Amino acid sequence: MIEWTASPFFGVALSVLAFWIGVRLQKRTGLVICNPLLVGILLVIAVLAALKIPYENYRQGGDLINLFLSPATACLAVAIYSKIQILKKNWLPVLVGCTVGSLTSMGSVWVLCRLFGLEEALTASLLPKSVTTPIAVSVAEAHGGISSITVVAVILTGIFGSMVAPLLIRLFRVKDPVTAGLAIGACSHAMGTSKALELGETEGAMSGLAIGVCGLITVVLSMFLL
Amino acid sequence: MKILCQVGVIFGVCWVSQILESLLPFAFPASVIGMLVLFLLLITRLLRVEHIQEKSDFLLANMAFFFLPAGVSILNYLEELRSAAVALVVICLTTTVLVFGATALSIRLTLRLMGRGKGHD
Repeated sequence: MIEWTASPFFGVALSVLAFWIGVRLQKRTGLVICNPLLVGILLVIAVLAALKIPYENYRQGGDLINLFLSPATACLAVAIYSKIQILKKNWLPVLVGCTVGSLTSMGSVWVLCRLFGLEEALTASLLPKSVTTPIAVSVAEAHGGISSITVVAVILTGIFGSMVAPLLIRLFRVKDPVTAGLAIGACSHAMGTSKALELGETEGAMSGLAIGVCGLITVVLSMFLL
Repeated sequence: MKILCQVGVIFGVCWVSQILESLLPFAFPASVIGMLVLFLLLITRLLRVEHIQEKSDFLLANMAFFFLPAGVSILNYLEELRSAAVALVVICLTTTVLVFGATALSIRLTLRLMGRGKGHD
């Protein structure tokens, strides 16, 4: 029976089903912790473990889904382009905010990794964790990090960021939608952006913009700093 | 056919970006090159948003889903993670709050220096 799972269709179908259950669960409960991505990942892992299905079998379908990450990132250009008027008006705050955000992220991660005494490979895996997955993974790999650990850190950061975003907006008394969107995107990339879109259209677009700009700045910074 | 063309355009951009990535003398992710190329095509009006609207909406709306297999691959790194799990969680949580605060405050300061802060913030 296990050999039936050695098909790309299995991995894709299982992933969609798990994600769908996650979406339903979040709608039903309204809890942020029931993040569809988190629930989906845990469900797939649970199914693989319970039925002793080899990871390699799941991977045939997983690789197909991975293929879409790059086009999805590229399409952020469309989201940014549709808000080009706001970008033109706010290019300086966008640039300053994203630079400060990226520097803070890499700096604070570096300091904390030192404090915890983590090894170099782990530090390299965590440094780009505030930017969107495809960028974070390529930055980590280019500097000797372990890509799966980067993915875990990025997702953990994203889930946490989207959970606490409304709280942080109140904590830092942010009333300007542009500021709120940029800050959400800078600290919690695409997963935060999905939350920002719920808060408002401007917040969503600015958050999407921050993903791209912070991603670029992080790539450039990592070339000089690492 | 409409959607098929959109898939072709977007995947074509991604393919060109991969080639550009391999030609560049330094490490720069293909997905970001793709974003820049697409943005350039849109700004120069060589490509209109209508040409890729539906496919792009599909990709953006389902962004989270595409990360699922990447997350599942944690399975292969449970050993490495076990020793650093606490550090990992603490680092992710602390820095997220720090980055949000630093970004928000720096933008507020910039807006204020530009003389626009009062009305907005």
